[in-house]
Amino acid sequence: MVFLVIAAAATTLTVALALSGVTDKPYQQTRQATAGPDVVAVYPAQLPTGLSRRGPTLANPASLSAAPGVIAHSGPYPTVYSSLSYRGHTVDVIAEGRDETPVSVDQPKVTQGGWIGPGAVVIERGFADALGVHVGDNVDIGGRSFPVAGIAVTAAVPAYPSSICHITCPFPLRTSLTSGKGAPNMGLVWLTRPAVTGLASSGAPLAYLLNLKLANSAQAAAFAAQHPFTFTWQDVQSAINALIGIEQVALGVGGWLIGLLALAGLAVLIGRRMTEQSKRVGLLKAVGATPMTVAIVLLVEQLTLAVAAAAAGLVAGWLIARRLTSTGAGLLGAPGAPAISVSTVIIIAVIALAVATISSLVPALRAARTSTVSALADAPRVPSRRPGLIAVSARLPVPLLLALRQLSRRPRRAVLIAMSITVTVTGIVAILASHARAPIADLTIDNLKLDRFNELTAIITVMLVILAAINTTFIAWATAADGRFSSALERALGATAGQVTAGLSLAALLPALPGAIIGIPLGIGLYHLLASGTHFSVPPAWQLLGVFLATLLAVTVLTAIPSRFGARRSPAQILQTD
Amino acid sequence: MQQEVVLALLAKEPSQGYQLRTRLEEALGPLGEGLNAGHIYVTLGRLEKTGLVALEEPPPGGARRADRKVYHLTPAGQERVHEWLSEVSWPKPDLAEFHLKLVAAAQARLADPISMIDAQRRELLRRLRDAQRAAMEEPDHSGTALLAEGVVLRLQADLRWLEACERTWTGRKERS
Amino acid sequence: MTSTRPVLAVSGLCKTFGSGAALVRAVDGVDLDVTTGETVAIMGPSGCGKSTLLHLLGGLERPSGGTIDLAGRPVTGCSERALAHLRRREIGFVFEGFHLMDELTAIENVELPALLAGPSPRAARARARELLEQVGLAERVEFLPSALSGGQRQRVAIARALVNEPMIVLADEPTGNLDSSATVEVLRLFDALHESGQTLVIATHDQRVAATADRLVSMRDGAFVDETKMTGGSRGDLAKLLGLGGE
Repeated sequence: MVFLVIAAAATTLTVALALSGVTDKPYQQTRQATAGPDVVAVYPAQLPTGLSRRGPTLANPASLSAAPGVIAHSGPYPTVYSSLSYRGHTVDVIAEGRDETPVSVDQPKVTQGGWIGPGAVVIERGFADALGVHVGDNVDIGGRSFPVAGIAVTAAVPAYPSSICHITCPFPLRTSLTSGKGAPNMGLVWLTRPAVTGLASSGAPLAYLLNLKLANSAQAAAFAAQHPFTFTWQDVQSAINALIGIEQVALGVGGWLIGLLALAGLAVLIGRRMTEQSKRVGLLKAVGATPMTVAIVLLVEQLTLAVAAAAAGLVAGWLIARRLTSTGAGLLGAPGAPAISVSTVIIIAVIALAVATISSLVPALRAARTSTVSALADAPRVPSRRPGLIAVSARLPVPLLLALRQLSRRPRRAVLIAMSITVTVTGIVAILASHARAPIADLTIDNLKLDRFNELTAIITVMLVILAAINTTFIAWATAADGRFSSALERALGATAGQVTAGLSLAALLPALPGAIIGIPLGIGLYHLLASGTHFSVPPAWQLLGVFLATLLAVTVLTAIPSRFGARRSPAQILQTD
Repeated sequence: MQQEVVLALLAKEPSQGYQLRTRLEEALGPLGEGLNAGHIYVTLGRLEKTGLVALEEPPPGGARRADRKVYHLTPAGQERVHEWLSEVSWPKPDLAEFHLKLVAAAQARLADPISMIDAQRRELLRRLRDAQRAAMEEPDHSGTALLAEGVVLRLQADLRWLEACERTWTGRKERS
Repeated sequence: MTSTRPVLAVSGLCKTFGSGAALVRAVDGVDLDVTTGETVAIMGPSGCGKSTLLHLLGGLERPSGGTIDLAGRPVTGCSERALAHLRRREIGFVFEGFHLMDELTAIENVELPALLAGPSPRAARARARELLEQVGLAERVEFLPSALSGGQRQRVAIARALVNEPMIVLADEPTGNLDSSATVEVLRLFDALHESGQTLVIATHDQRVAATADRLVSMRDGAFVDETKMTGGSRGDLAKLLGLGGE
């Protein structure tokens, strides 16, 4: 049980940390891996006539590569605006014509397959994920079929579902292409130069793309201001960030919620371990161990378990996080980089250490100060007393009586249960609220984007629910175990096993109820707090009711299981083991 | 009743026989009702013979009446009292007699030692019950309650010993 | 005031734990009849099975064989619910370790079985108070167990066993954890209960407790080996016990 709790906590914390740490690093990593440019110039092959009277740089944009401050460049590359068809989806794309040999600025990094060859296409990773296309498939661009040679990422242009046109659009747009953000989502592919010129010759609008590297990257904005048709790497980054938007927030907050749940479970765990260890410390002292020995013995034990569970949790968390971040593709994950950073491993390790240390050292220290005799005699923590609750419970039917008395004995457990339920319901309701917002304009690709968002939130929801279930079961088991003596005594005095089980379930249900009730408005509020700008949406009432009832049902069932097991033993046996 | 008790009671002041008896009864409470009065006079006589107590001189001219005899301690008597008070001997329990009883019965095959032990246990339990009743009926901390408590505790100890006897004799029987 | 029909009739009662080589016959074929108002003491060394026997009689443990009848109704073979009802109403159990709830006051502890059994909370509270007065703890009703001495705690436990006016009170080593003066308190209480006609079955290794019974049964290795009827004497015998009154 302990192993499971720590492992679950470690898993979710890993995922949480992975999710919260993903948003700003990947672009930097991509930029480094691909030798991203500081400034990109995209200019149409046919310059607009009104502008040709501006300075010499405009007449010949290719001469930008020799402008002051530029230390390296690649291109200009022919770039067409075309459409791609794959399995019934038709999407607008920008196709860059590239060389097969690598260049020093903006060499897209291949994550699957290989770089372009004659007649083959390489697809940008975000786009490829949204389409569901794999290396070896055939796609149709501008009426011609190309086999997919590979999948790559780049930092020069925003990844899908953003696109160049979010920043600057060198192509004449079809008027029907407007999404909620005012710019179309276009995919990016790389073809060989001949292929691109071939497409251009059959009527697709042509432009040229030039990548520039400056002596001082920080000067990119100033440089771009002097020259038209240019944009900077900072523009690319903000385009990406703007798009991540709610998804980033969802993942970040989801991570926090999960983290909170994990901590709640750990709190109960630590508390119980400390009590368990006190008696062992007494025994060790009685046979002659010095305080130092005692501490070491305990620590080693606890540590082994905690480290094993944490390792298991890290692995599980890594697998899940990979799934999550690959869903975000070029947007959220750096190319080829693992989803977990060293700092995540360190944090998990620290937490595992902390759990083990607190569980072992605190009792060891306490016992070092107290006499061996009292450590041995170690009465379990005297339950707290709430005269008001006790008096009220006397008037209630037996299961409620038992439940209230159970709650008054360990009020902190009740708080933890309420908290766990609140966090879970808040998360689920927030996710429901986000799904309830009006759907964006019905474009095929946006449906794909929506699917991905749904998948993300579905995974988060599942994780929340699983963790809440583990937490609730664990707390219920811990409570039943701690209270088995009282339960046995109550049975000996005349309560039936059914009443005792009902009492334990109610003792979990009573705090869960307000927890669930509070969670609903909190979830709605949370969503609106974070998704500022979208109109007010509330999940339909039936969904809220469903979540509410499902939560209560789950709590009842999960707590009934361990208490039913406990009721098997005869009261005499439990009472006598004291 | 040991002689020394009577001797010690005289240490307070010279007294007549019946006065001693009264003091005894006061000390023992209701338990003293069964005391034999004549027994005291016999004891006093013996003590006189051994020179530990002496009679007071009768008033001049009057006859010596038996019930007016006033006894007092002689110096030897006083010394004996002091000795007795500082002695720490304790009344002897009679365990050896019972043990020998069992051994004799077993050797001569006259009776089963274990049934003998059980019978003795039953008797002691009955006595324990009586002593306990007595202890509970008396006010706490009275002389009688204290004596009853003493009886109870000793009976308990004897009963434990009998249980040990039973275990041992049962073991012997099984082995033979 | 005894009636002829036994209030408790036990026949061939057995309880085994474990299996195979580790089989333990805690109770091995016990027959016992207890009439109303009788006090029966079960004596034996530790490990002889008297505690287990009492747990079986009290419905806290299910026997492996044999029958138990309480006031003519069979107890063995009852459902768990029926046993619980039995524990509420017909049987009062006094545990060896007192087993009071530490977070409840004396009166809250005593009224608990009554609350479980169903009478109104007020009636339960009143009855609890009455019982605590009877056992001599009238001014300690609001005390927590930690503030009571061992003997006082045991008296609370006894009061708790009486709260639902049970047919029979079972006491497991009631003086086991008590010193001499506390033992006397409890003995007085049992005596008073006996006077009022309460049926008592007491498991003990203390001869003092055993000596208060009407009937004394010795137990060894799970079976009864001896039975003694304790006839009463009178106080006058005490003098003889002391060796007073003539030689």
